[in-house]
Amino acid sequence: MKISDIVGSGPWPYAPADPVVGFDIGSRGSKGVLLTQDSIYTTFIPTGLYMQETADELLTRLLRDSGLKRRDIAFVVGTGYGRISLAYTDLPYQVVTEITCHAMGAHSLNPRTRTIIDIGGQDSKAIKIDPATGKVVEFVMNDKCAAGTGRFLEKAAVLLGLDLHELGPVALEANDPAMISSQCVVFAESEMISLRARGERHKDGAARANIAAGIHFATARRVKSLLGRIGTEPDLVFTGGVANNPGMWHALETLIGAKFARSPIDMIYAGALGAAVHAARHHAAALAAGTARRAARAQARTTASPARKAAARATAGRKTAAAHS
Amino acid sequence: MAPQPTTDQSLSPALLPIQALIEAEQQDFIDGADGRKRAGYFCAYTPPEVLNAAGLRHARLFKAGSPEIVSQGERYTQSVFCDFSKSCIGGFDPQGGDPFYRSVDKLYTFHTCASMKRATEVIERFVPTKLLNLPRLRNEPASRAFFRDEIAHYRDDVAELAGRPVTDDQVTAQIVLYNKVRGLIRQLSELRKRPNPPLTGRDVLELVRGFYYLPPEKLLDVYGKLYRKLSRVRDNGKRPVRLMISGSIMADGDRRLVELIEQEIGARVVVEDHCTGLKPFAHTLPEEGDPFQALADGYLDQAPCARMKPLDDSLDFSSRLAEEYAVEGVVYVYLKFCACYGVSKLEFIERLQSRGVPVLEISSDYSQSDHGQLKTRVEAFIEVLQDRRTDLALPSGQTEEFVHG
Repeated sequence: MKISDIVGSGPWPYAPADPVVGFDIGSRGSKGVLLTQDSIYTTFIPTGLYMQETADELLTRLLRDSGLKRRDIAFVVGTGYGRISLAYTDLPYQVVTEITCHAMGAHSLNPRTRTIIDIGGQDSKAIKIDPATGKVVEFVMNDKCAAGTGRFLEKAAVLLGLDLHELGPVALEANDPAMISSQCVVFAESEMISLRARGERHKDGAARANIAAGIHFATARRVKSLLGRIGTEPDLVFTGGVANNPGMWHALETLIGAKFARSPIDMIYAGALGAAVHAARHHAAALAAGTARRAARAQARTTASPARKAAARATAGRKTAAAHS
Repeated sequence: MAPQPTTDQSLSPALLPIQALIEAEQQDFIDGADGRKRAGYFCAYTPPEVLNAAGLRHARLFKAGSPEIVSQGERYTQSVFCDFSKSCIGGFDPQGGDPFYRSVDKLYTFHTCASMKRATEVIERFVPTKLLNLPRLRNEPASRAFFRDEIAHYRDDVAELAGRPVTDDQVTAQIVLYNKVRGLIRQLSELRKRPNPPLTGRDVLELVRGFYYLPPEKLLDVYGKLYRKLSRVRDNGKRPVRLMISGSIMADGDRRLVELIEQEIGARVVVEDHCTGLKPFAHTLPEEGDPFQALADGYLDQAPCARMKPLDDSLDFSSRLAEEYAVEGVVYVYLKFCACYGVSKLEFIERLQSRGVPVLEISSDYSQSDHGQLKTRVEAFIEVLQDRRTDLALPSGQTEEFVHG
């Protein structure tokens, strides 16, 4: 996809000098974004058992889609729950938390963003950002339980006999959303079971829709409570995998009493895009310091094999430089 | 709980002698070879001056229980008790308790919160226990008079356990001695006001652990030596991000947050606003007059626990400490279900934020399973603080720009 198709034809200040990659290795799904001067490539796969293999698969897909070679990649930034498990010997690599990355991802697409709600597979967060810089001002994350996260919705979909992607649309058909009061996934599950077992409308589509809607509102109440400290200053942006769920979108907008800004790309990629923007920034710093991968490669090509070691040393030095930039 | 290994990688080498002394003392306490009676207490409002004047062995019982100990404790409570109160009960449980707790001859509790009072009432069935009252309204003259008498009762009970009288002069001498120890802890802590502190937050927790396990005579010696050593350490120019930890008790063994901050992320805890860090040592007791009034006033005047009234005193202390130690951010951490720190959190957070100090709120327990979630929060918080540092370093109005290739 051309960047100009997403953010308009004006200059986009986050475009990298050379191709960079951002990975967001989530608890459920892993996302990759490759940025070049004028294009953006995205890819998604379920997170595997081994994070490095997952990241390698993402990179293979991104390179295939973009027609680039591994050696063309100037910098990689990893984020998400699996970020620490990644290691590269041939690519400059840095780790940034998903909170900082979601903020930058949303900001780079919409500089008016001030408040982000991010709902992922195993956590949810509210982030307040500085619209001048895209930096995080404050953030709040959910308690360490699955209430208010995508995992909760996954469980609910199974109980209702729906695929996850059907859950949101079904919830929008509700005429009288069920009241699900429990804040705990396990107890909410038993509430759902008793709602389902009330019998007379067991096969009734409306009953299923009403339960589905109740689940979305229960989750949304949980997420809304995160906004207490952060506020809801517009633009309000919804990121993470659950941002694809129209039922959740509706429940949150209803409870918060405000509209989310529309985003030009699927916001499941917000974290990976933010990581790629951070990679561009690290690469820019390396270029300014004269330690960038492009320069190192040129040097390696023009000199004989003993110089390989020098190039390797430069790589090590670059990592240190990037860490302090 | 198994004793900690002697080669603790997380401590600075200078602290290892103190750690070794604590371990030896704990073993002596369990063995009880000299026949001295052993007193235990839970809360920093219990004056060890009186226990030491009576010649008792004594220790603050503030271990974070293993998952087994915590679940032992939970058999006697509901789930909505904090893991610390469950650890206290579990430690005394006749089946699978902690040998250190099980060797205590008598437990003294100046109870603070309702959970600890109830926990004490459960423990009464395992060990002789004296429950004492601690007034909440710390500024009322009647509270001071009442607390003075309560401490005199405590002295009587302690004398009976020790089998010998405890005179006023003996108590006064201990007040003088403990004032010196508290003074040394303050001096050691103040070394952390340097841009690159010569001791970590993890080290200071160990110092404070020493205070609660070792007799004051030994403390004066080891703290004095440590101070002389650390005050000579040269500054190497590093400037780690400076944090304050605020909130509820950080029990002995509850080290994962501090180790995460300091060893994994590389920031520094430079001051603690909780009752197992610097906080209980900020005050000096009067050394003249009625020693029981001196103890009553001294302990009521110490930096107050969030259970005390008015709460503003606690908030004032927190913000003063944050300013004094030039902290860049505060991690406010409270035990899940804590009725004191879990409920007053918003007041703390709002007060600190109104002074321009960012606050990260964390609710914690003694489970080991949430390392990744904890790390994401703390790392992101440090990223925010580092960004603030960059912004503050730039002239006003100027923001960091990307360099385009």
